[in-house]
Amino acid sequence: MADPTSLRYGFRHEVQAYRYLGPALLLLGLLMVYPLFQVMRMSFFEISVRQESWVGLANYLQLARSPEFWQAFVQTVYFTTGSVLMHLVLGMGLALLLHTKINTQIRNFFRGFLIIPWLLAPTVAGMIWVLMLSPFGVLNGFLTTIGLLDPNATINWLGSPGTSLLSVTAMNVWRAFPFFMVMLLAGLQAIPEELYEAGAIDGTTPFQKFRYITMPSLQGVILTVVLLDFIWTFRAFDPVYVMTGGGPINSSQVLATSIYFDAFQKFKFGYASAEAVVMFLVLFAFSVVYVRRAVREIG
Amino acid sequence: MDKPKPGGWGLRARRRAAHAAIYSTLVLATLVMLFPIAWMLTVSVRPNVEVMKIPPQWIPTRFTLEPYAKVLGSTRYLRTFLNSYFIALTVTAVSLVVGSLAAYALARFRFRGQRSVIMFLITTQMFPLVLLCIPYFRLVVRLGLYDTLTSLIVVYTTFTLPFCILMLRSYFAQIPKEMEEAAMVDGCSRLGAIARTLIPMSFPALVGSALYTFLLAWNEFLFAVVLIESWGKRVITVAIYSLLAEFVTEWNMMMAFSVLASAPLVVAFIFLQRYVVAGMTAGAVKS
Repeated sequence: MADPTSLRYGFRHEVQAYRYLGPALLLLGLLMVYPLFQVMRMSFFEISVRQESWVGLANYLQLARSPEFWQAFVQTVYFTTGSVLMHLVLGMGLALLLHTKINTQIRNFFRGFLIIPWLLAPTVAGMIWVLMLSPFGVLNGFLTTIGLLDPNATINWLGSPGTSLLSVTAMNVWRAFPFFMVMLLAGLQAIPEELYEAGAIDGTTPFQKFRYITMPSLQGVILTVVLLDFIWTFRAFDPVYVMTGGGPINSSQVLATSIYFDAFQKFKFGYASAEAVVMFLVLFAFSVVYVRRAVREIG
Repeated sequence: MDKPKPGGWGLRARRRAAHAAIYSTLVLATLVMLFPIAWMLTVSVRPNVEVMKIPPQWIPTRFTLEPYAKVLGSTRYLRTFLNSYFIALTVTAVSLVVGSLAAYALARFRFRGQRSVIMFLITTQMFPLVLLCIPYFRLVVRLGLYDTLTSLIVVYTTFTLPFCILMLRSYFAQIPKEMEEAAMVDGCSRLGAIARTLIPMSFPALVGSALYTFLLAWNEFLFAVVLIESWGKRVITVAIYSLLAEFVTEWNMMMAFSVLASAPLVVAFIFLQRYVVAGMTAGAVKS
C-alpha cells in the first residue's frame, strides 16, 4: 500500500466508492426502479383482488377511447401551462423589483416574507383558498363591496364547472411563484455589473438593457426553472384533490387525481397503471431535456 | 451647473421619486401576495360566526384563542403533530447520513458508472409520485407495513435522498480533499476523517438540505393518504383535509390548525433563510 490517502482511479477505490453509495442505491433501486417496472408490467394485466390476467394492450386501447382520460389530459396541460406561465410572470416581476438598488437588508426582508406561500403544504394552501373562494367567502365579499358582484348572485368558484379548474390553477400560481422569484433574483444578481456599465457607455435605454443584457444572461436559469416547474406541476396531485376532488363532473380532473381515483376508488389497478405509464412517458420526455442540461452543468 | 431647470426635476428629487415608486410597488405587491396568509391568521382568532359574511368582516369584533385551545386540547390532533414531527425528523436524519456517504463517493472518487449514477439521481426527482403509489400500496400491504409510520418514513426517505445527495455532492466537491488527507495521515480512518473535517465544514449545505428534506416530509400528502388508515397514525396534512370533510363549518379551528402546521417551517426559515436560498439556487445558477 503506497499511499493510503491516494484518490486515484483504481479498482480498490471503485469498490470503496460503491460501498459508500451502497445504501442509497439499494433504497432507490428497490423503491424507484423496481416499482417502475412493476407498473409497466401491471399495465398489461387486468387486476382484481384475487388474480391477475394478461390482457395485452386492452388497457391502453380502453384509455385511448376514454373521453374522461382525454379531458383529464387536456386539463392537466391547461393547469400546467397556466401555472408555469404565471409563475414566470410574477416571479420575474418581483425579482426585478427586488433587484433594484435597494438596501440589502430590506431586500432580504421582503424576499423572506414573499417566500412564505412556498413553505406552506399544498394542503394548507388549498384549505385557505377553499375558505376564501367559498360562496360566502372573502373573495365574493370583496367583489360585492367594490360593486363588481350582485350580493344575491355570488359565484361558487370551486363548485361550478366553468371556474373550478381556474380556481385551482390560481391557488397553485400563488403557492409556487416564490420559487421562481428566488431563482430569478439569484440569476439577476449573478449578472456581472460590467455588462451594464458597458451598456451605459453605449447609451442604452432601460428596455434595451433588459432585452439585450438581462434576458440573454438569464436564459439558462429561466429554462431550468421552467422545465422543473413544468415537471412538478404536471404531476401535482394535492391541489386538485383537496380543493375540488376533480369535480364538479370532472371539470378540474387532472391526470394525477384521475390515476388515484381509478386505482384506489374504482380498484382498476391495471387500467390506472396504463394511465400512469402514459403520464410517465410525457414527463420522461421533459426530464431527458432537463437531465441533459443538468449533467452538462455538473460536468 | 447642476441647477435644476425651472419646471424640471433635480437629479436627487428624481432618484427619490424612483425609490418611492419602487418601495410602494414592493409593499403593495407584498400585501396582495400575503393576503391569504393574513386571512388565515385573522380567521384563526375569531368566532366562527364571523368567518362567512358578505360584506366581509375584515377585522374580528371579538378576539378569541378558542380555536387554538380546541386543537391543542384534543389528544387526537396532538397525536398527528407528534406523528409528523417524528416522521419528518427521522427522515431528515436518515437522509443526511445516507446522503452524505453517497455524496462523498460522488465527490471524491472516480469510478465507472459515476455519470450514470448522477443522471439516475436527477431523473428520480422527476418521477410522477402517483405512479409509484400503485405498486407501493401493494408492496406495503404484502409486507404487513400498511398503516404504519415506518412505511411513510421509508417512502419519504426515498424521495428526499436524491436531492440531498446532489446538493451535498456539489458542496463537498468545493472543499479541498487535503483536509481529509491530513486527518488520515494523522491516523483517522476515512470515515473518521469525513466526520471530523468534511462534515463540520459543510455545515451550510447540511442545514440547507436538512431544512428542505424536513419541508418535503412535513408537507407530503399523497402517500399519507394511500398508506395510512387510522387516526392514530395520521399526519397533519391528512388531518387538515379530514377537518374539511368532518366539520365543514369550523373554519376558525381549521385555520388555527393550519397556522400551527405552518409555524415550524416559517420560523425555521426566518432564521435559516440564506442556507435554503443558497441550496435552492446551487444547481441552477452558475456562479
